[in-house]
Amino acid sequence: MLGHIVGLGKTRFGPTAKGLPTLAQEALMAALDDAALGPEDLGAVVVANFLGGPNEGRLHLASVVAGLMPGLHLPAWRVEAACASGGVAAHQALMALSFYDNVLVLGVERMSDVVGAELTRNIGMAGDVVLDQSQGLNFPASYALVAQRHMERHGTTARDLELVSLKSHENARLNPTAHFHHKKVTQADVDAGPVVAAPLRLFDCCPVSDGAAAVILSRAPRDARSVPVLGSAVATDVISLAQRSDHTSFPAARAAAERAYAQAGVAPGDVSLAEVHDCFTIAELVATEDLGLAEPGGAALLVRAGETAIGGRIPVNTGGGLKAGGHAIGATGVSQLCEAVVQLRGEAGARQVGEARIAVTHNVGGVGGTCAVHVLAAPGTQAAT
Amino acid sequence: MTGVRTCGECGREYRYDVELCTFCGVELGSREPARGSVLAVTRVDVPSIGHEDVPYWCALVQAEDDSMHIVKSDRAIETGERFALSGAPEEDLAVVGVLGTGIMGRGLVELLLARGHEVCWLSRSDEHAERARDRVLERLARTMDEDELAGAAARLAVGADPSFFGRCDLVIEAVVEEVGPKAEALARAEAHMRPDALLATNTSGLSLDELAAGLARRERFGALHFFNPATRMRLVETSRATATSDETAARLEHFARSLGKIPVAVAQRPAFVVNRVLMPLINEAVRALEEGAAPPADIDEAVRLGLNHPMGPLALADLIGLDIAASIMDNLAERTGDESYAPRPLLRRLVDEGKLGRKTGQGFFQHTPRPGGPG
Repeated sequence: MLGHIVGLGKTRFGPTAKGLPTLAQEALMAALDDAALGPEDLGAVVVANFLGGPNEGRLHLASVVAGLMPGLHLPAWRVEAACASGGVAAHQALMALSFYDNVLVLGVERMSDVVGAELTRNIGMAGDVVLDQSQGLNFPASYALVAQRHMERHGTTARDLELVSLKSHENARLNPTAHFHHKKVTQADVDAGPVVAAPLRLFDCCPVSDGAAAVILSRAPRDARSVPVLGSAVATDVISLAQRSDHTSFPAARAAAERAYAQAGVAPGDVSLAEVHDCFTIAELVATEDLGLAEPGGAALLVRAGETAIGGRIPVNTGGGLKAGGHAIGATGVSQLCEAVVQLRGEAGARQVGEARIAVTHNVGGVGGTCAVHVLAAPGTQAAT
Repeated sequence: MTGVRTCGECGREYRYDVELCTFCGVELGSREPARGSVLAVTRVDVPSIGHEDVPYWCALVQAEDDSMHIVKSDRAIETGERFALSGAPEEDLAVVGVLGTGIMGRGLVELLLARGHEVCWLSRSDEHAERARDRVLERLARTMDEDELAGAAARLAVGADPSFFGRCDLVIEAVVEEVGPKAEALARAEAHMRPDALLATNTSGLSLDELAAGLARRERFGALHFFNPATRMRLVETSRATATSDETAARLEHFARSLGKIPVAVAQRPAFVVNRVLMPLINEAVRALEEGAAPPADIDEAVRLGLNHPMGPLALADLIGLDIAASIMDNLAERTGDESYAPRPLLRRLVDEGKLGRKTGQGFFQHTPRPGGPG
């Protein structure tokens, strides 16, 4: 047992006038409340954030967060691993449990202050400045190339991508903190979406969200709602598609998944639900395969059969994923843990999957340059090893 | 385009400009593959800083040595296509002649050199040639480093002797927008060109059949109408004379695409499409000014904000040159028989007074002369 998630808190994802400190405080207080702990019970804080520097001129976020707990002088630091910042922060927090009893992981991001070409450039900083950015390979374009290769190799179709999108939007309708909770997305909306980077269209892309999410990790379980963390792994890979020979799978994701499963003593077949990094619809298919939940090229078959929907054999992104739940970048990896915990506790209400025993989260930075995978179990689960 | 560095001992590859293998500590060998084939391509429709002009294409290219490259292109490319990683033209039409040292001629030469072409540029005199060369290289120096600039300079021949057109695969005429001088320039160029070479005019809408009348190989002649500034504007109006062959039309269109342009084929109607729409707009703005609707700056402001044009019609007329605008309008009126196309009296008066717009410092607006120019 690596540790236990004893509390979680998450703001609504989506555009908001709330500033970064306000968002961070909202998630922080919710997590403390959920864990029935006070700020003075925390041993350390790991802050996850990607674009505070370029978007807001805001770095040194650990100290900003210290301002939300004046006088405590907690050890705190910021983690940046592009879109995988949250997952990597959780991994660090687990390691930090060798020093501290309770560690807060706080992911926060403001995206809506910067728009258009500037924001697209800033997000593109997750790619290599020479190999990718100089050639105009922004994020939609990167994943568009992945989609092209996946379609060519595995026969994946544009329709499969639409099904992923429609499923995620359905789930978001059941999640009050989802970016698109209030938006009913129909086939007509999907059809009307303009091309962003062929073959990806508007509804293949996640939105740009503000938001924060927090979990408190503890050495010992606190109560019957504490969720054990069985596996935690981070793996990296070369940053650009130009440095890889295979563009239909992310080796970092496969490596992280393999390590996390081994640590947890579980196999992909044991997984009840997965929260995966679907910044674009194609990414959900690649993730499903990289996690071993489908054979290479087999994810589309699961989607076509409805197996990844809530109530399906292996529900994926029950909270709407990044696609419809929102992508407040630094908060995303933490938000995935929140959704997994809510499901494992059986507290997911209308979007509750049947019997949730094992959940896996998968958080990717860039186009597979970093991947963090966590394996969580239902409260009360004893370690397999 | 980045090279690939490989360790001679362990075979590991690096894509940064590092010199040593992290594992073996030995110096890396480096290579720069020249071409490859396109594995996947995406058309990008969202702009980002540094990549504002959309659409463009991003290709994943597998080079001959199997290394992968992401390459941006401003022309449509297809999966499976052979692709030069250097950006040098793969095409025939590698050597291009240009006639005319006005703003369009200079813009064209700059564009062609930037795209890797060899250019033979005809000027009126040797003295003109030196000045024209300096101005173009000065422009290119803003975006090219020393090596690139030296390469561009080596690919540029400028002079008053048209015999170098014998080396050209294509010659583009961009002299003053009048039938007489254009027809004469075209015939003069053709006399020096190889029989298999193509000839194009940059006319903005004169009759191609009239321009072709004095040519011996009319099937190899067509129109490529670039827009100012030629390096930046994406549109090229392509058009064919009655005698233009299908092959010539197709090759000219392909050539425009290879320069990153988006060609639109238009019939040889007076003033093609853009000027057919633009000239009445300018003329109506002049009429509004004559009628006292508003001062020039306000007319321009209204059109800019109301029609979302980047520039008002009167400022644009000043940029084009009032004499050129008036001449296009006269040509339109004459060829269509519709006098409403003819320049408004105020426009004629300004031309008569020598107030031709930016190039003379005074048109509808006063212009402060740029330091060093016009040359």
